[in-house]
Amino acid sequence: MLKCRFYLAKFLILFSSILFPMLSWGIINIGEDIELEGFVKAHNIMKTGARPFNDGELTHQRNTAQLEGKYYFLREGTAFNRFSTGPIEEATFTFLGRAVYDSVYDLRDSYDVLNDRGKEEYKIREAFVDFMMPPFTLRLGRQQVVWGETDNFRALDVINPLDRTWHGTRESWEDIRIPLWMARGIWDIGKIGPFEETFLEVIVIPDDFQTNKVATRYPRPWAFKGIGLQDENANSVLIDNTLYDLNVNVIDSSPEKRELSNVQGGFRFKGIWNDVDFSVNYFYGFSQTPGVKVLSVGLDQFDTFQTTVEVVNPRINVFGVTASYSEEKYTQSVIRLETTITKGIPVSIAAGAPHRADPDGDGFDTAHQSVVMIGLDRPTWIPALNSLRTFFLSTQFFWRRYLDYNNYYQGSFYDVRPAVVNGSVVPDRFVSVNNDKLDQDEFVITFSASTSYGRAGLWKPQFVFAYDPRSTGAYNKIKMEYLYSKSLVFAAEQHFYWRESGDDQGPWGLGSYLGEPGIRRNETVFTATYQF
Amino acid sequence: MKKCIKFPPTYLNQLPGFLTTLPLLMAATLLWLPANSNASEDQSYQALRDWIDNPPTGTQASPGQHLTSGDREAVLEALIPQSAWGYYFFDDMDMEITATRNYPVPDGWGGEDMDTDFAVDEAGTLLDFTGGGYPFPDISPDDPKAGQKVVQNMLWRPGANDYDMPMVTWLRSEGGKLDRVMEYTSTNATYARGKESLVPGYEEVKSKQVMEFRSPRDMAGAKDMSIRYVDHHKENSGWLYMPAQRKPRRTLASERTGELMGMDMIREDSMGFGGKTYENNWTYLGKRKVLATINVSTNPEFGGPSQWVPHKARWEVRDAHVILIEPKADNHPYSHRIVFIDAETYWTHWMFAFDKQDDQLLRMNQHFLKYSEDFGTEPPEQAPYIKQDFSKSVGHKVFLHLGQVDINAKKPHATLTHCYTNKREFTAARAKQFYSLRNMISGRR
Repeated sequence: MLKCRFYLAKFLILFSSILFPMLSWGIINIGEDIELEGFVKAHNIMKTGARPFNDGELTHQRNTAQLEGKYYFLREGTAFNRFSTGPIEEATFTFLGRAVYDSVYDLRDSYDVLNDRGKEEYKIREAFVDFMMPPFTLRLGRQQVVWGETDNFRALDVINPLDRTWHGTRESWEDIRIPLWMARGIWDIGKIGPFEETFLEVIVIPDDFQTNKVATRYPRPWAFKGIGLQDENANSVLIDNTLYDLNVNVIDSSPEKRELSNVQGGFRFKGIWNDVDFSVNYFYGFSQTPGVKVLSVGLDQFDTFQTTVEVVNPRINVFGVTASYSEEKYTQSVIRLETTITKGIPVSIAAGAPHRADPDGDGFDTAHQSVVMIGLDRPTWIPALNSLRTFFLSTQFFWRRYLDYNNYYQGSFYDVRPAVVNGSVVPDRFVSVNNDKLDQDEFVITFSASTSYGRAGLWKPQFVFAYDPRSTGAYNKIKMEYLYSKSLVFAAEQHFYWRESGDDQGPWGLGSYLGEPGIRRNETVFTATYQF
Repeated sequence: MKKCIKFPPTYLNQLPGFLTTLPLLMAATLLWLPANSNASEDQSYQALRDWIDNPPTGTQASPGQHLTSGDREAVLEALIPQSAWGYYFFDDMDMEITATRNYPVPDGWGGEDMDTDFAVDEAGTLLDFTGGGYPFPDISPDDPKAGQKVVQNMLWRPGANDYDMPMVTWLRSEGGKLDRVMEYTSTNATYARGKESLVPGYEEVKSKQVMEFRSPRDMAGAKDMSIRYVDHHKENSGWLYMPAQRKPRRTLASERTGELMGMDMIREDSMGFGGKTYENNWTYLGKRKVLATINVSTNPEFGGPSQWVPHKARWEVRDAHVILIEPKADNHPYSHRIVFIDAETYWTHWMFAFDKQDDQLLRMNQHFLKYSEDFGTEPPEQAPYIKQDFSKSVGHKVFLHLGQVDINAKKPHATLTHCYTNKREFTAARAKQFYSLRNMISGRR
């Protein structure tokens, strides 16, 4: 039901550019020095739960307008066509702004409890200046920096946190990375010894620390609410068959923004050795996923179970090496490799762990973690399916291991369930149970295939598959994009989650539990994009 | 024990509504089989061979003449390869004929800086050549490796690199329906310049190229860097930067037979032949006179019922080497490829490739060129999105590529490109910076 005509008007204004197509269709030039481009996108997502199209529920009607611009204010050593800039040969200013209005908040009464959280966003996401002083370049401002060879898993790509609030990690990461204020300097070295095309990159993030953003409030469709009841919070604890009220006090000790002591930074040395494209990386930062230290637990004088926890983001040290090699003769594949060792990963330790497993007694530890990713990209002919164009096949094997593992490491899939005392459900009382034990080794395999059809290649199907061989949880996406015109692009996609056997959730967010009643993340997505 | 991956039972009951229709939709898409085109003309390989071996007699095209469809039998059929007749002859066609000229090569071309210490292997592949002139200035029709030698001259021709090339590409269906327009810019530099490299220390590099898309927005900012090596046996190195990924990705060079980005060409079709000599069998078919848009006044407009071919353009009668190229690989889409390469300038004018399934025309391309020394008096059209100083091209004595037509005869569909090419000379320091892996780790966004 529409609540307010104002919002309808807003919606229509936002989409007037679709109704009244503009003449321009590429980058718009304003004078010789300014370029603008962008898009307006209507993004409709329907939770199809366990019964596609029979049990649908519109969860998003996210309308996005994005404007990107570049201002070439310094060319060939002259700024603003006037001032000589000496060794600075070129400079540009780039900005990327995004406005979002999710009209589903005005259509669904059930979203009223969210108090418009997630409904709108108006942000200058990126704004940076590039200076080129060969052989040095410097980028200053709010930006994204992506390292590594892995697609859509975090190993070296940990510099910018992710905003997973509105659609998890199912969107292009370009759109969900949280840009940070930083300096990125590059020294282009070239040939040295046996290495070619080398450069050294240094990044410094003086004070802009942000955590990954995760929604936790029901009924946001991608709120992280564990695997149990989604619309209830634990309010009780059960001790010796007696139910007590639960009160949790949270102390937020995550690094304060705008403090120089929170500096983060790193370097990357990249080059080519014997046709192998490689990099050596180091990043010193904070874990963007918080850990929880349990400071105190116990019953107070009112028989309330008081828990005081401290949320912390420990320092991390990430060491990494990447390589990619185009093997043209035998496999005709590009082989990608990325490996990291990270110190400082926060982990929880199960309650009741012995002293040797939890010497501080706070249910918290930092672990050393290694990651190895091996990937293959291959343009492949499948003539029976496409006689004109190859399929781009890409697969990854991702292995994560806790190097100093202990058997009491606990995952984050808690389960809120009704409190049961003496075999009877107690109304309005809920307890939280966490049986999610971390495995020392975690694996996931991904595969994607894409190609294009039609005389001008305007139909672009994509198939994505991810599989966790331990939990047997899986995820599939089938997408068809249609480039209807130079400005209009339509896409339809279906996401679904399933498993081969068992009931282990695994660490990756894969498996049928995500499609079952309650969580219901099987989705049908329709998008229409007007680009300019 | 073998395990079967299966959906949970709850899914099996619930999928039909959507997933049973999905395969039907996909099958319908996949079965969208191409229709044959322009069947009024014989577009078989044999017909073109007959045209080459037994040229139709005709009267000479005279400078200043404007040829129309009325001149088809008398003049044009003898000068336009038969496979192209169905596209290039149409009711209101207008081909301006200009005198055949000689086009001097750049100063110093083939002079003392040229590399003369090279060899040719059994397959006709050029070994250890680093440029500075044509490796085979004299082509003997009796030479069993004449075909490979002509193509090597084409690959090492002057003007092949060292330019800024903003481009606009139109993808058109029959009837002129515009399916897609793309804007992009290629910048290219010759490293191998004979006895010296543009950038000392990079003697193994033949040339480097960076190409960046400007529109449509779903491709804007995508850029590709490729490195070609003087060793013909070594595959190119390539990286692709996609703004959505914000990082470069290594690309594979050895797959050259799939259509690219909806365009009606494969990588191996580049300038008639962009593959590896040793992957093909070669036959030199002699010389033929053909009409060529070798020195157009400006980027030609497109005409014909589907707006696929140059119209009101300036043509010149040229002697062309005719090379038959037959891929060795069983799974190659082509049975035969015939390329017409200018006998004086070694630029490709026409290419015809025939379908391995039936020996009928599958793809063709035809090129528009302009001689740099005419840029001063008769500058070509400016790109719609950038203005260039074309006087920079004067004095180089090379041809600049102003565009091409690529037709897929089986779809049928065409890709038409205008190149707004301008010469650009890089200093060693600038080339080192511009054509670097460092330059591929970020882009427009």
